[in-house]
Amino acid sequence: MLTKSAAKAFFLGGTALCAVAFLLLTLDTLAELPKRSHVEDMTDQVVRGHVIWNKNNCMGCHTLMGEGAYYAPELTKVVERRGEPWMDTFLQDPEAFYPGRRKMIKYDIFDNEAVGAEVAAGNRADVIAFFKWVGNIDTNGFPAKPDLVPVGVASNVDPRIMARAPVYFQTVCAGCHSVGGKGGNVGPSLDGVSARFDADYLRKWVSDPQAVKPGTTMPTLGLKGENLDEIVEYLGSL
Amino acid sequence: MRYKTQKIAYWFFAACMLLFTLQIIYGFIMGFARMGYDGLHEIIPFNTARAVHTNLLVVWMLSGFMGAAYYIIPEESERELWMPKLAVIQLVSLLLVGVTAVIGYHFNYWEGRKFLEIPRELDYLVVINVLTFLLVIFMTIWKGKRKTTTAMVLFFGLLAAALLYLPGMITFKNIVFDSFFRWWVVHLWVEGVWELIMGAMLSFLLIKLTGIDREVIEKWLYVIVGFTFLSGILGTGHHYYYTGAPGYWLMVGGVFSALEPLAFLGMAMYALSMAKKGGRKHPNRIALMWTLGCAVMSFVGAGFLGFAHTLPGVNIWTHGTLVTAMHGHLAFWGAYAMIILAMISYVLPEMTGRSLYKSWMAEWAFWTTNIGMIGMTGAFGVMGIAQVYMERKAGMDFLEVQESLEVHAVGLVLAACLMTAGVILFIRNFIAYGLPVDPTETGGSSGAAGSAAGAFASSKKS
Repeated sequence: MLTKSAAKAFFLGGTALCAVAFLLLTLDTLAELPKRSHVEDMTDQVVRGHVIWNKNNCMGCHTLMGEGAYYAPELTKVVERRGEPWMDTFLQDPEAFYPGRRKMIKYDIFDNEAVGAEVAAGNRADVIAFFKWVGNIDTNGFPAKPDLVPVGVASNVDPRIMARAPVYFQTVCAGCHSVGGKGGNVGPSLDGVSARFDADYLRKWVSDPQAVKPGTTMPTLGLKGENLDEIVEYLGSL
Repeated sequence: MRYKTQKIAYWFFAACMLLFTLQIIYGFIMGFARMGYDGLHEIIPFNTARAVHTNLLVVWMLSGFMGAAYYIIPEESERELWMPKLAVIQLVSLLLVGVTAVIGYHFNYWEGRKFLEIPRELDYLVVINVLTFLLVIFMTIWKGKRKTTTAMVLFFGLLAAALLYLPGMITFKNIVFDSFFRWWVVHLWVEGVWELIMGAMLSFLLIKLTGIDREVIEKWLYVIVGFTFLSGILGTGHHYYYTGAPGYWLMVGGVFSALEPLAFLGMAMYALSMAKKGGRKHPNRIALMWTLGCAVMSFVGAGFLGFAHTLPGVNIWTHGTLVTAMHGHLAFWGAYAMIILAMISYVLPEMTGRSLYKSWMAEWAFWTTNIGMIGMTGAFGVMGIAQVYMERKAGMDFLEVQESLEVHAVGLVLAACLMTAGVILFIRNFIAYGLPVDPTETGGSSGAAGSAAGAFASSKKS
């Protein structure tokens, strides 16, 4: 029959053994972490981005490497998924991208009008740099790629239409609009948009949606010059 | 109750009731946001509500553990508390720090580190506070007439909890290091040293309520906490699968956290068999219900539901989804909330001298809170599993998935209402007991409860 002192020895012995094993593994892990997190790429900009992440408790809604609060999207591979131009535009006014849906806090530090265009752009670049760095951490395969995606492609989908779009369109516009069956479904599909509107109208609409249709949920993206020409030209080809 | 200074515990428990209520309110704010009603977004956005909800949980549980220690330690050491005034100062300062932190969360004054959001300046105050608490407990044991196993396990659990808070205060520029040591606090607390505290409270309650010999109960206490550490320490690895740590943690974390349910199963079997063997019936049946309920529900919530998503092959899909919320809610409820409510149910009649054992409110509080919590766990489970399949496995858009889960959030909130009704009954009953009174010369508080418990104690001796 087990005695109390034997039970005590089991407790103390087992605990000591496991604690030692845990500490040894910890030492090895601490030696590995700099390599696995590519500490050499951790620039001042990345560190500033981390500070912004931390100061505003972003993981109180989002998850990063799966850690956080499950109220907002997982961000480990966000740069790969969305691209930098989309993120840069989104952060300026998150609600504009998903009108009437679940809200993200609109942070002044990212808003050109609240803190000045230069500071705001710098802050946005900092967090994007941070996410880019996080995206390269060796996370043992997390997040896993979806494995229940249908293999076949519907006949009316033509990915080539999206493939020839300017980068800005693929990353920013496609967040809400689709062409050839690819892209978001927040705004209307843009297939055949050139048949419905002429180039002048599209140019006015893209550069200042509120002037054309007050109250519209289409965000003002601040597109100018060549970028605007490129987009209008692409829309004209659809 | 035999010592005057044990009365201090009452105020710690009263603080528990207050903070628990606030915690639930912030839970509702999040529940409604998940249903799509986020009208408070501008004032209390989700990340604020979430930080308040989890931090209030931690503070009320610490307050409950401290209250339990202030009650148990004098009785085990057979003397009054050393410097009881310090205990009062300590309670007030704990509440001040906790409330300051929670208010700060509404004004972006925090650190974005899950569960450890308390800003660094306040961390130092927490440390001073806990040191004060440990000093009072240590000196009481030191000067006491006897040093029981229950008291020692409780003390070392509390001491280790204090020490393990420190790794969470190291500043790292690299988020991977930060995350690694954050789990030293969070995991080694809830799946390690807090279980020592819980085990000690369980053993104290079983000794008091079943009348079984202390030596037998304490022997099994060692076995249970032995299994806890055997599985729990290396089980920390299940937080290191996908956060940048090396791949061997998949193996280590997987194997050892798969053993974690055994510790909880052991605890449940131990509590149930002791209660069965006990034979003699302490009049406070409701405290025994909470005690046994705690042992069973901690196995279900922490053991079984933890195991459900701890293996790396499952966790790669469930990590960072609402499946975690499912496990988290029932684990904290079963293991820690219920042991504190068991303790409160036991001490109230002892402290106030009133025997409201047969109160319908107490019994209904037990059943409605538990059924409500199980319902909430079910709702989180449905949401989590649906999220895993739609978002993670089929690659659907995050927001679309969340919107399709809103209907289940209605179920969550309804179950939460039932649970809240139970909590209201519990608190109503707590208030009905009134304030604590000094113990009489013969031991035990004056009045019916004291004499009933006294009779129980003397019948045990014969």
